Amino acid sequence: MIKKLVSVFSHGPLHLVIIFVALIWILPSVGLLITSFRSSADVAASGWWTVFEHPFNFTRYTLENYQEVILKIGIGRAFLNTLLITIPATIIPILIASFAAYAFAWMEFPGRRFLFVILVGLLVVPLQMTMIPVLRIFNKLGIAGTFPGIWFAHTGYGLPLIIYLLYNFISGLPSELFDSSSIDGATPFQIFTRMVIPLSLPALASVTIFQFLWVWNDLLIALVYLGGTPAVAPLTVRISALVGSYGQDWELLTAAAFVSMALPLVLFLGLQRYFVKGILAGSVKG
Amino acid sequence: MFKKISFTLLAMLLIGMLTSSVFAASNTVTILGVWTGAEAEAFNKMVAPFEAETGIKVEFTGTRDLPAVLTTQVEAGNPPDVSALPNPGQMIEFAKAGKLVDLSTFMDMDVLRSDYSPTWLDLGTYKGKLNGVFISADLKSLVWYSPKAFAAGGYTVPATWEEMIALSDKMVANGKTPWALGLESGAASGWAGTDWVEDIMLRTVEPEVYDLWVTHGISWVDDRVQRAFELFGQIALNEKYVYGGTNAVLTINFGDSPDALFTTPPNAYMHRQATFIKSFILDHFPKLVPGEDFDFFPFPPIDPQYGTPALGAADMFAMFNDTPEARKFMQYIVSPEAQGIWVGELGKLSANKRIDPAVYPDDLTRKAAKILSEASTFRFDGSDLMPSAVGGGSFWTGILDYVSGILLMNVLMTIETTALDAYRK
Repeated sequence: MIKKLVSVFSHGPLHLVIIFVALIWILPSVGLLITSFRSSADVAASGWWTVFEHPFNFTRYTLENYQEVILKIGIGRAFLNTLLITIPATIIPILIASFAAYAFAWMEFPGRRFLFVILVGLLVVPLQMTMIPVLRIFNKLGIAGTFPGIWFAHTGYGLPLIIYLLYNFISGLPSELFDSSSIDGATPFQIFTRMVIPLSLPALASVTIFQFLWVWNDLLIALVYLGGTPAVAPLTVRISALVGSYGQDWELLTAAAFVSMALPLVLFLGLQRYFVKGILAGSVKG
Repeated sequence: MFKKISFTLLAMLLIGMLTSSVFAASNTVTILGVWTGAEAEAFNKMVAPFEAETGIKVEFTGTRDLPAVLTTQVEAGNPPDVSALPNPGQMIEFAKAGKLVDLSTFMDMDVLRSDYSPTWLDLGTYKGKLNGVFISADLKSLVWYSPKAFAAGGYTVPATWEEMIALSDKMVANGKTPWALGLESGAASGWAGTDWVEDIMLRTVEPEVYDLWVTHGISWVDDRVQRAFELFGQIALNEKYVYGGTNAVLTINFGDSPDALFTTPPNAYMHRQATFIKSFILDHFPKLVPGEDFDFFPFPPIDPQYGTPALGAADMFAMFNDTPEARKFMQYIVSPEAQGIWVGELGKLSANKRIDPAVYPDDLTRKAAKILSEASTFRFDGSDLMPSAVGGGSFWTGILDYVSGILLMNVLMTIETTALDAYRK
């Protein structure tokens, strides 16, 4: 009991600081959430913090922003498009990257170092620079404005970082595993599917979240490679088109932000366990 | 695990291929525009009769990143069939690169010449080729006020710059603040001030000198440019003239600044802004009646010999791919029928002379249309015509620097330095 009290007091200041920082961190999101439930006239007239004067005056809250967002962006089609883009654009690069990372870490082949140096170099290429040449190639191949086109684009942009992260993790696996498996007669492919993949699950989960969120939130690549017609436009493109060209109706964006946040939030909370583990994975070599 | 993943992937691939092949259908016209939100809805309303009549499907993409998206697509070789352009300067860039279709090859030029005033056609012409057509305009040279507040204070609408300054002084003497001015606009902060300087330039120099200024034919440190800034400063830098003082001028958002006119008692009495600000006022104060609760008068003349010119911005279209569908679309949007729907929805002003004034949503808009059509001189927003390093860069920041108290000569020198670099390219 006394011990507990002592620890509360000794950790008290630390906890206060942490709570304070967390509050500051979360404040903009809280403001966003509150604004999303206020009418446009209220938003224009006063700040979101004024609701705390009468927090239980429910007549001041409204769902009309959400209604309008869901109606205006054609939520069903936009969600479907986003999923059609995001799921393959997450799976394809991670699939390729896990093969590549394994090969870079544990297989001997000529030019391995050289290829790896190129890969690391690709990490720093700004993707804006690649747009015109890549779009030209897509036009030649006839895949500009199609879903496969944007899958390739996201795969290309995602690969260097994903390979690099997975390489760090996979190369940290104990070499005895590989030695004993090959003595038992396992082929490299079997080692990969039976040993490497199951052991790297935390790292795979965390890069999956990274890549998923990146593709989910992407506006620029979708707009340039896919265009903004309702048939193909993902959520981000439709949402950015909600606001007028002078920034009118921005209060709709607050509701739209939570609409587009919903699925990643569920995913993130669901995979959080792996996420924290995965960030540490590969950072310390054993 | 592997089977599951590959199955999902295959399924997605299939769905993706199927859905993406649908929109590759012909008989469509792809259009890129800057319009989003309510403006995009108005655009869709405008093209609905076209789609119904011709059976051509309009694939419209609206993005506020139009310059970036359009440049990328043009460079990569798959431009939209038709695109809105932010300003005539951009049109000239594309025309120089040979990317635009000469519209006079298929448009009925006689009808165009009778429908449009020569100014509009000239602005869309480059080296004898008609490369762009205008569908609508926004008039910028307006001062908004509340007739009720003016009546209550015993104020009258000024007809000249001197009268306007005298009126401002009178308001100050009565313990009031005459002007609502806000320059904040995110990354584009300062643009609202460039409109002031342009309007003043138009009223203090010949239109030809204004054109020279836009093309950097005269320097930024020129006396005439300096005078325009100083006249702007006469209002913007006067702590007693502007609501909240100069600090507030720098931090209040341009869209929120007219709010000061409609508080009780009014925090300010006058606000210079383009026609589009009406939608902001109505959005923030839905109960106000245009024409009764708020109105505007033309930005008054300064030097009498230059009269009351009109400064404006306009929405223009250019054609990148010469397809039969795109041709039909271009022929449609220059018609008064199409523009009637568009301007009726948004309260913009039509570029077509044959437009029926009844399509305008209210008397206020009809009044603006009258000012625009009767203006002795019309000039395009100068900052939109300058290279973006100046017109979308140092001119904006120069306004902010000037209002924040930096010496005018230093401000103009800074703009001149960037201009020397930007116009060389």
